[in-house]
Amino acid sequence: MKKQVKIVIALVFVSLGLYFAYNYMYQDHRDIKAEKAVVLIPASELISYFNENNSKKVLNKTVQVSGIITEINTKNIILDDKVQCSFDSVLKNLNLNETIIVKGRCIGFDELFEVVKMDQSSIIK
Amino acid sequence: MGRRWAFRKLKINVMKNLLLVIIFLSSIFSIVNAQEKFITKSGEINFEASVPSFEEVKAKNNDVSAILTSNGEFASLALIKGFRFKVALMEEHFNENYAESSKYPKATFKGKVMAFDITGLSTDDKEYVVIGMVNMHGVDKKIETKALIRKVGGIIFLDTQFVLKPEDFNINIPNVVSSKIAEEIHISTSFELKGKL
Repeated sequence: MKKQVKIVIALVFVSLGLYFAYNYMYQDHRDIKAEKAVVLIPASELISYFNENNSKKVLNKTVQVSGIITEINTKNIILDDKVQCSFDSVLKNLNLNETIIVKGRCIGFDELFEVVKMDQSSIIK
Repeated sequence: MGRRWAFRKLKINVMKNLLLVIIFLSSIFSIVNAQEKFITKSGEINFEASVPSFEEVKAKNNDVSAILTSNGEFASLALIKGFRFKVALMEEHFNENYAESSKYPKATFKGKVMAFDITGLSTDDKEYVVIGMVNMHGVDKKIETKALIRKVGGIIFLDTQFVLKPEDFNINIPNVVSSKIAEEIHISTSFELKGKL
């Protein structure tokens, strides 16, 4: 009887261990859309974090920017010529020169075109 | 007689000036022409370092920038944090332990498409040799690879495939996981470059 109880307890622990290990290994991706933005600023100001060597505050963080659409591509838009917001799906119903607020994950500064890039974006307004 | 001579001289002068203007304009035009650029801000880089029977090690970046000039100069920049994996934990380990993307946020390539002739492009893929420098994880590495280039409706399509080794970029894969990550990383890139004046 006692032996059986021990086996049951051991099994419970092993399965709990496996459960947590599995959850750790296959944890979900971040849900940028649901995350709260660490900064809410005009698109033209996001670049200042990279100029002032302050990129840690925004890099890999969820940021929210507002600006005028200066370029529209299939899956990304550019705000104020300074921030590229990439989306996971194809864009529609957007117009050039429209003012827009976008939330996304800041992935860094692109020196080739001097734009800050964001991915997993979603349109707030 | 004297008037006629003066008129003739004037005519020659006008012709001379006109010629100078033409030479000047055409040289400006050829400079502009020489700097014709084809660009993208949403190029694609895929890499795979999977080992059979283990979890696939694969990532994709859809926000890669690239510039190709009509004389064959090619430059590209990928933000490391833009590489996305299927498994979130793998993405985290890639960023924190291997690529160290906070310290080295970007990978770049700078080089030349050899014997590139923009007027020779057609809608069929043509093979070119690309030579240049890859910079990643703070380390420069010269590479030579083949690229397939075609031009359709004013857009230049450039695709390459090549292999890199983590050790060439001072990236150490610990023994515990080295059996699950291939020694050679297969990289494929795809750019749709649009003309820009």
